[in-house]
Amino acid sequence: MAEEIQQIAVIGGGTMGQGIAELCASKGYEVLLLEKTEELAQYAKGKIEQSLDKKLSKWGITTAEKKITLSRIVFTSNIELLRNADFVIESVVEDMSTKKAVFQICDELCREDVLFASNTSTLSLTEIAAVTNRPEKVVGLHFVYPVTKRPLVEVVRGLKTSEKTVADLRTLLTTLHLTGVEVFESPGFVTTRMIVLFINEATYILMEGVAEANEIDFAMKHGYHFAFGPFEMADRFGLNSVLAALERLYREFGDTKFRPAPLLKKMVRAGHLGIKTGEGFFKYDKDGNRL
Amino acid sequence: MKILVINCGSSSIKYELFEMEDESVIAEGLIEKIGTESAIITYQATDKEELMKTAEILDHREGLNLVLRLLMDDKDGVIASKNEVAAVGHRVVHGGEFFSESAVITSEVRQAIRKTVDLAPLHNPPNLLGIAAAEQQLPDAIHVAVFDTAFHQTMPKHAYLYPLPYVLYTRHKIRRYGFHGTSHKYVSEQAALFIEKPLTELKIISAHIGNGASVTAIDHGISIDTSMGMTPLEGLMMGTRCGDIDPAIVPYVIAKEDLTLSEIQSMMNKHSGLLGVTGMSSDMREVTQAMEEGNEQAKLAIDMYLYKLRKTIGSYIAAMNGVDILLFTAGVGENSSYVRQEVCKELSFFGIELDQSKNNIRSKKTREISTPNSKVKVLVVPTYEELMIAREAKHLVDQQ
Repeated sequence: MAEEIQQIAVIGGGTMGQGIAELCASKGYEVLLLEKTEELAQYAKGKIEQSLDKKLSKWGITTAEKKITLSRIVFTSNIELLRNADFVIESVVEDMSTKKAVFQICDELCREDVLFASNTSTLSLTEIAAVTNRPEKVVGLHFVYPVTKRPLVEVVRGLKTSEKTVADLRTLLTTLHLTGVEVFESPGFVTTRMIVLFINEATYILMEGVAEANEIDFAMKHGYHFAFGPFEMADRFGLNSVLAALERLYREFGDTKFRPAPLLKKMVRAGHLGIKTGEGFFKYDKDGNRL
Repeated sequence: MKILVINCGSSSIKYELFEMEDESVIAEGLIEKIGTESAIITYQATDKEELMKTAEILDHREGLNLVLRLLMDDKDGVIASKNEVAAVGHRVVHGGEFFSESAVITSEVRQAIRKTVDLAPLHNPPNLLGIAAAEQQLPDAIHVAVFDTAFHQTMPKHAYLYPLPYVLYTRHKIRRYGFHGTSHKYVSEQAALFIEKPLTELKIISAHIGNGASVTAIDHGISIDTSMGMTPLEGLMMGTRCGDIDPAIVPYVIAKEDLTLSEIQSMMNKHSGLLGVTGMSSDMREVTQAMEEGNEQAKLAIDMYLYKLRKTIGSYIAAMNGVDILLFTAGVGENSSYVRQEVCKELSFFGIELDQSKNNIRSKKTREISTPNSKVKVLVVPTYEELMIAREAKHLVDQQ
């Protein structure tokens, strides 16, 4: 199966979609990056170019590798192109009705043998898969941000996901140099559930005046070897995404430990969403470097 | 006896068919961009026009299948049936400690090659793909693996070990393996033939300098030291590789530039050497031209390149307590008279004397470029790894 995959369609060109498209293209796959409009598709192209330039400036890739990676991605809003896809990875906004609509379209347009993966972090895969005529070919593939630098995905089985689908997916993951951790369907799986709690608790600590944001980040980064402290991590994920995940976990589990910190809500309301708005817990330049 | 030599990269197959009676080439070519709908195929039968086309070739098996169809083609083919191919010589980059010579491929041999994948993750997997594909297409031929590392397995322990905790060697086989072995072996044999002396009476220093570069000390026909190490990154300054640096630089740069391991690996392998210092090109011809036009950074890069090369040659003279032949081979070694001249200029202490006019002659043949008075003979010997692989294969077939 994976040997026959030539073109991977990535639906949604947000932060995660960009990373997934860049990763697949850098490993030799032809990629179709689908967005709602041509403008959004071009925006995603600009962001991927930026990301590749950053890697180039850090000697991680060569000019030729940048060129070839970009040349493998078609940025478009034309859903008809899905007919050629050999594999689909959905990475649209974390909203059930949007995801269902996307999967219905894919089910209509894609060949019968094509597998669908969803990058959902908190929604029910079984419910998403149920809108298609191929629930056994639908699987969860939850990437970790930043996608091109974290070689881990959570492989999520829905109620009807078949063994063959999981096996085929594993072959694909090898070619993408990713390691898959198999998890059962549960809100937030392992990584999201733990990391948003980590960020939420840090926000409470900040609210209580126990320490400054900078100090909290420094302590966790250097004391426990995190690449980023909880606040810079939240700024990179997007504070609205963190809040949305917490609210969903709170609803699903009904457990107050997932209650979002009021400061987090306040910041989202103020539009301080992190890197994408230039300000979250910290301030950033347009390239996403901390000021 | 006809022998097919194949060299598989991750998305390419280079092939050459030899008639071993006179070691002539019957046909040769290359398939690039395997795994895509637009793979590029070139095919050249001797005395015929070169063919070039694109086609969908999704894996190495399809690629080899196409090679065989081309070889047997009614119009442009050179053989009537697959059965004419008596043996296939496969280039395998890393043979670890398992192979000190070429080997007929059996399931044990395949197993051993698989065990060395960790040591050569970029090269050995496509080599294995090529073997599997060729065995399927040519089940009756004898398949032979020829290793880049095998020639250097004669190095003594004090030359191949690194002064790290010894347990790293026993646990992970961390040691010097050396590369370009097939080439070093071939050119040293050619050099002995050229000066009409037995290899077993000679001390030879072989400088294989192309985009990748290594120097080998060959004492009485045996490799006793070579400049590449556990990986092809060690040793000389190269086109894009840094060669030897203080290992403490690695963690320091990682911290200062906030790099990941893959970034620093890529920096040392793809962004260093001539390219890194000039910021312009990894190609010795282009850098030399820039130097001639007054580019100071190009001059500096070449000076660094020559200095390292000369130091390495000097150290091998010490390692063998003498040298009879200094030879240059591969892209830069065969073509850059400037590099040869500058390296030899400062080796006069050892009795090396270059004949400038001979050095400036361009030729595709083995030639001597030292003066008759030179204590050490300096030769240019064109390398031919494919022929060496074919010879190794023939040797094993003859034994069977």
